[in-house]
Amino acid sequence: MKEDQNDVNHYGIYLLVIATIGLIAGVINTIASASTAQGMIADIRETAFKKIQTFSFGNIEKFSAGNLAVRLTNDMNQVQNLIMMVLQTIIRIPFLFIGSFVLAMNSIPSLWWIIVVLVILVFVITFLSFGRMGKHFGAIQRLIDRTNNLAKENLMGVRIVKSFVQEENQDKKFKETSDELEKHTASVGILFSIMIPAFMLVANLAVVASIYFVGNLVDSDPQAVAAIASFMNYLMQIMMSIIMGGMMMMGASRAAISIKRINEIMNTQPDITFVDAPDYDLDGSVEFDNVSFRYFGEDQDTLKNISFSVEPGEMVGIVGATGSGKSTLAQLIPRLFDPQKGSIKIGGKDVKQLNEHNLHSSVAMVLQKAILFSGTIADNLKQGKSDATVEDMQRAAKISQAEEFIEERPEKYDDIVEERSANFSGGQKQRLSIARGVIGTPKVLILDDSTSALDAKSEKLVKEALDKMTGTTKFIIAEKISSVVNADKILVMNDGELVGVGTHKELVEGNDIYSEIFETQKGRRDK
Amino acid sequence: MHEFRDSMKFFYRYLKQYKLSFLVALVMTVIAVYLQVQAPVFIGDALNKLVSYAGIKMTHAPGADHAWDLFIGVIWSLLLYYVFNALANFIQSIVLSISIAKSTNEMRTGLFSKLQKLTVAFFDRKSDGDILSRFTSDLDNIYNAMNQVLSQLMTGIALLIGLLIMMFDKNAQLAWVTIASVPVSIILAAFIIVKARKYVDIQQDEVGKLNGYINERITGQKIIITNSLQEETVEGFKVHNEQVRKATLKGQIYSGMIFPVMQGMSLVNTAIVIFFGSYLAVHGDIDKTVALGLVVTFVQYSQQFYNQIAQLASSYSMIQLAITGARRVDEMLDETEEVNPPNGIQIDGVEKDIKLENVDFQYLPDKPILKDVNIQVDKGQMIALVGPTGSGKTTVMNLMNRFYDVNKGSVKFDDVDIRDLDLGSLRSHVGIVLQESVLFSGTIRENIAFGKPDATDEEVIAAAKQAHIHSFVETLEKGYDTKVSEENNIFSTGQKQLISIARTILTDPSLLILDEATSNVDTVTEARIQKAMNNVIKGRTSFVIAHRLKTILNADRIIVLKYGEIIEEGNHEELMKENGFYAELYNNQFVFE
Repeated sequence: MKEDQNDVNHYGIYLLVIATIGLIAGVINTIASASTAQGMIADIRETAFKKIQTFSFGNIEKFSAGNLAVRLTNDMNQVQNLIMMVLQTIIRIPFLFIGSFVLAMNSIPSLWWIIVVLVILVFVITFLSFGRMGKHFGAIQRLIDRTNNLAKENLMGVRIVKSFVQEENQDKKFKETSDELEKHTASVGILFSIMIPAFMLVANLAVVASIYFVGNLVDSDPQAVAAIASFMNYLMQIMMSIIMGGMMMMGASRAAISIKRINEIMNTQPDITFVDAPDYDLDGSVEFDNVSFRYFGEDQDTLKNISFSVEPGEMVGIVGATGSGKSTLAQLIPRLFDPQKGSIKIGGKDVKQLNEHNLHSSVAMVLQKAILFSGTIADNLKQGKSDATVEDMQRAAKISQAEEFIEERPEKYDDIVEERSANFSGGQKQRLSIARGVIGTPKVLILDDSTSALDAKSEKLVKEALDKMTGTTKFIIAEKISSVVNADKILVMNDGELVGVGTHKELVEGNDIYSEIFETQKGRRDK
Repeated sequence: MHEFRDSMKFFYRYLKQYKLSFLVALVMTVIAVYLQVQAPVFIGDALNKLVSYAGIKMTHAPGADHAWDLFIGVIWSLLLYYVFNALANFIQSIVLSISIAKSTNEMRTGLFSKLQKLTVAFFDRKSDGDILSRFTSDLDNIYNAMNQVLSQLMTGIALLIGLLIMMFDKNAQLAWVTIASVPVSIILAAFIIVKARKYVDIQQDEVGKLNGYINERITGQKIIITNSLQEETVEGFKVHNEQVRKATLKGQIYSGMIFPVMQGMSLVNTAIVIFFGSYLAVHGDIDKTVALGLVVTFVQYSQQFYNQIAQLASSYSMIQLAITGARRVDEMLDETEEVNPPNGIQIDGVEKDIKLENVDFQYLPDKPILKDVNIQVDKGQMIALVGPTGSGKTTVMNLMNRFYDVNKGSVKFDDVDIRDLDLGSLRSHVGIVLQESVLFSGTIRENIAFGKPDATDEEVIAAAKQAHIHSFVETLEKGYDTKVSEENNIFSTGQKQLISIARTILTDPSLLILDEATSNVDTVTEARIQKAMNNVIKGRTSFVIAHRLKTILNADRIIVLKYGEIIEEGNHEELMKENGFYAELYNNQFVFE
């Protein structure tokens, strides 16, 4: 008896050792797989983000900025989950399956067919239910998108909904979609409710069958009775490995969509690349020679055979109706897009022959929508000139009429720009954005309707300050004729064509389209 | 803890109507667990019968047939047990998944219909993304947790109770020994969970920051390209990416630790059971003949017990996410709703005039937007509001619709304070056209008939004609059934604006407010829209807020606002004569020959 207890104690200590080893191995496994998964996903995310940084305007517009952001965040998350799951199970499942299979076959060879039937049944159930589930998963994804879209539109149009007293109808519409979503999620739930008990039942039936058939084998194969317990155990292990494999497949099929979407980013070729040329000292002359341009997927040219030339230091106005191609024309100068036909020259050099830094330090563009990044005011201004001094910033702020409100801020140029630049008004944002454009004293400056949020007086002051930048060629895209009335040259765009070039006076007399625009903006001298 | 209690209330509120389903699920769980616990006993029994049959067969002793029958009998009942077990599991699972799908649907539609009742102030204050994420990730987390944890929780707890009963039934001493280490494990698990939670919180923060950075940079990619800021941007990204990696790694290590630690504890406990079992066997408290079998049984119990605890502990992260989700959804449900006066007065339009009397208004304390503003508009007049950005023009529109309420003074329709009017009645008589024309996904017809969904085709076409958009719609292949959405831009900004004008025309409002309705289009298009607008304004009382003065030259009265005060008032000619702010604005904006 004493010996027995020693034996038992021995086994107990043995167990404690196993427990410690198991614990250490488990922790190491967790640390290893977590750091591998996190390392992998961080790398993938970085690679994708770097890839996006090589994209041109056209590449980004093809995806749309919002869509790219979703791919980098949500889709990445899906992939991360898959990697974690795969790392934890990929080695285990085949080992478990094959190992248990072989061991089960060995323990009672004559019952091989029970294992085969079990495996077949489990596969049949898996495929039947996953096939149906796939359909529902698709519908669920679509419906989730739709409910989100409905909610989003509702938020954007909240004033319209309320003012038209449509709250109830909106509710009804949302409920219809939401109910349909419920139907599909319930269907998936029901399928799972059938699948999991069905698996268990099949496995349990296999256990019962093996006991029964071992009873029949007593005569021919007496060893089988002794082996039945381990046989049953192996059956259960086979079953577990199949269920785990199935779950992984399901996770993988959901993540596969995300992987595809991320791959689309990786496989996109940037459609604008720069040559490795030496820096040229350019002057501000700009020349368009028979330029035609078409956006991706459009069936019509947005710009048709545009030719004109501009001398260094000139102020050039571009006018025309919404959609006539004004912004497109301007965006070709800093190569945000490349034209399909014709050439554009700055300082006599084809823009395609310039290196990226050379071009972008020579051409500055201020966009219609002022975008600032979170950081400080100085951070944002330095984006236009990385080594800008405080004097540079003050000079730029003076030109853009931003000096006053910057000086009023407690931290002046070091004041914080919040996310979505929420702590600046529309007019202030535009002024900062103009300051960023002029800080590097570019050879060519493009203002794409970028004074629209400024009041008339500041707009006038900005314009006067720009006039003094004699070394800079200025392109001013404007809705208001008054903004460009004093320009050296006005380009009149209509439906993608350049229909007139000249001074205000020349155009009023000789250009119908210009006169029509002018007509709508002509003031009545007081009566 | 507070959060936990509140979220329990939240779940109770939504799940209480499925009491019956939960009761059924509970009963089924108990049955399934009972069968699951009993089945091994039957297997043991079957094996015993098998062995005795085999023994008889081998020794050719009599009674083999009887032994075989006994064996078959056990097999049959085993079969029955398993079938019922599957059935009980099936019913439990199906009842739960249907109730969960339904209650999630109720949460979702409840959230949406709550949104319909909230004040405009709420929407102006909160970011759309934050509200939307409650629809997407928070409801998703709640659904996932309910779907995966609920049945696990039920089965797990039932199993634990079942195991406890069985253990104490078999041998109370050994049972105490078996569960003695449970408090230690729970403390250990709690310790890891607290740690893990801390890192999961940090992780969520860092992920939020990374996503914010990605969003900001990618939406501003044009700036990055034009200023060649790619390298700087990638460097910034790397910093955030590394932070996320570190935080996620720590969080995952801690959460991933629970399972191996619990398994380790399970083995330690097995050792304890064996030690004590053999000790008790030697020192005589347990009948020595059954000692071995008893210890083996308790080892199995101990393992099953720990297995359940480990699983419950590992699902904490899902439960945590659901609790946070419940709190965030609840936050929205707690927001104050718009006040619609009980028994509010119904109106049939404006008969006499509309007045703003001594109106003070501010969005934020100490930042007055309107100061003692008085405006009186007779029926049928057109009033223009002019002034620099931030002068309070749009605020006037917000007050007329009761999107916001005045802080002092009053807005009166025919001498009745609008706060006494029925909100629906007021708003259905006020029509607005905003600068950003919001169209909803659907057909053109649905968009025009937005304010009056039962409008006839004739009404829709008549409105479209008045808005000068009918001939364009006719050129489309599918006409009024053409689908529109934010993504597909078959319309120019001007055409979208014309559709939103048609939408307003159809509701036939008696007061019309045009808030910078044409400032997004070029002046030639503006002139065309203006023609449509003149049709609409005719015969109605209207407020026109304008940046471009061309559109308001014919107003009956022009009111110039600056810093929330009326500084000039009169018609165009009068104001030009005054040669003040308006005249300066006018002279700056127009070109003169």
